[in-house]
Amino acid sequence: MEHDKTPAIVFDHVSVTRSGLNILDNVNATIPRGSWAVLIGPNGAGKTTLLLALLGEVNYRGRIELGGGKGLRIGYVPQKLNLDRGMPFTVAEFLAMGIQKRPLWLGISRSAREEAAHLLEMVHASHIMKRRVGTLSGGEMQRVLLALALQQKPELLVLDEPSAGVDFEGGRLFCELLEDLRATQGFTQIMVSHDLGMVAHHATCVICLKRRVVAQGAPQDVLTGPVLQSLFGMHMGLICAESHIHRAPTLAPFDPEAALPLTELRPLEQVRQECAEQEKHHV
Amino acid sequence: MFDISWLLSLASHFPLDGMDMRFMQQALLALVLLAPMTAALGVQVVHYRMAFFSDAVGHSAFAGVAVGLLLGIHPHVSMPLFGLGVGLAIMFMQRYSALPSDTVIGVVFSAVVAGGLAVVSRDNTIARDLQQFLYGDILTMTEADLCWLILLFAAFLLFQLLAFNPLLYAGTSGIIARAHRIRVALCEYCFAALLALVVMFSVWGVGVLLVTALLIVPAACARNLAQTAGGMFWWAILVSLSSAVAGLALSVQPWMGTATGATIILVSCAWFLVSVLVSASRNENRL
Repeated sequence: MEHDKTPAIVFDHVSVTRSGLNILDNVNATIPRGSWAVLIGPNGAGKTTLLLALLGEVNYRGRIELGGGKGLRIGYVPQKLNLDRGMPFTVAEFLAMGIQKRPLWLGISRSAREEAAHLLEMVHASHIMKRRVGTLSGGEMQRVLLALALQQKPELLVLDEPSAGVDFEGGRLFCELLEDLRATQGFTQIMVSHDLGMVAHHATCVICLKRRVVAQGAPQDVLTGPVLQSLFGMHMGLICAESHIHRAPTLAPFDPEAALPLTELRPLEQVRQECAEQEKHHV
Repeated sequence: MFDISWLLSLASHFPLDGMDMRFMQQALLALVLLAPMTAALGVQVVHYRMAFFSDAVGHSAFAGVAVGLLLGIHPHVSMPLFGLGVGLAIMFMQRYSALPSDTVIGVVFSAVVAGGLAVVSRDNTIARDLQQFLYGDILTMTEADLCWLILLFAAFLLFQLLAFNPLLYAGTSGIIARAHRIRVALCEYCFAALLALVVMFSVWGVGVLLVTALLIVPAACARNLAQTAGGMFWWAILVSLSSAVAGLALSVQPWMGTATGATIILVSCAWFLVSVLVSASRNENRL
């Protein structure tokens, strides 16, 4: 792995004002190289704006330093794509348009096709190579967008709410995929997420944003009752979820590695609901 | 400018009555050059949602002629240059204004149409040309116009070779394309310039009212018929080229005697009906 000690991203007094409204106010944050950073916060907290500032899409005051001033190759995965769904446009072409110089109306070159297939393999979606982009489901589209970003061989992967529009299981699989890719490709990753359970499980660096940075650091240090109280203004807490460990079927030996972590963070209401459902199943 | 007589003599071999006449050869050559350009750019117009943009540029044709007459410039020079200016101005305002893009275009659209009408109402001698711009007349293309059209075609070909993929990338999502280091602004300005020039030349062919049809209808057919983005490009060209040639052939038949531009669009609309049927039957098979 890299031994470069300079942080991947430094936000230095970043402020964004739009129509006289402070959207971001003096944001200071540092994201170490190789980390999985997650921006959390309520709606309107400026999470997406901060990502857009990072991408250079909105004007901001202050300084954003990437890779110690040298800049980083960025791969960007948006929340969704506003695409004409009936448009004839295959997944192979979608990936090849960034790979090959030859215009697509002269066909996809063999090397571009191979690279596209390899990228799809990396995101476990080889089967959708020939499909039209417009016919993909939310989860499939997300993988294709991730493949497009990976084609950049990113040093920094930027994701805007990747679990929006994907069901719980799909979101979990996607996060595991990202975990694997980050380990093998060694990129730094920054994302916006509303899924606090996911954050507690995967993130190495959490930034709590509410126009300004409320707290930042490792999840166990940041995801505390008082921080979440001030961030979301409602009662949430870490729950020692011993009673909800999803045990493997009785025939297989119990594997604590495969089970969900002991500390998983969810709104109380959701936990109550899940407990009730589990009880129903046991009865 | 340069010798195109060999191209015209080539056109004279086309199996159609009246091809021995110079203006017919020129009209055919102009259509064969124009049709693939409008088709391919039309596909991108659909992808980029720029139909209103091309409409506004088309409607600036008359103002372009009027400005040319005021300044003593030949209309065939002032019109494309004015259209180019309008196209680039819209693109610039879209990028740097907080207004929604259709509002920007709507303002420019009104300005150019009003400007054209103001000049015409002052000087009635220009008004005689008005009909030509409304309905177009491909049969009035001169040899000099054709030379310019050939140069434009070369630029078009270069653009489609170099910028097709980046433009598709940018049209899919500007933010992703910029993050992935595609030169989106350069692509968009070149596209707007090329589109504006092609629209202006098309105004001579089919008139202001039908310019957008020339761009949109082949692209719409291709969307129904093609399975891939590359295929859509070729289908649009096939539809456009065949409609242009068939439209010209039909319009000069004594029993038709219709305006060439309108006939071309009618043929392409017939293509569209076929494409709808093909696409519907395909969907049935899928179910």
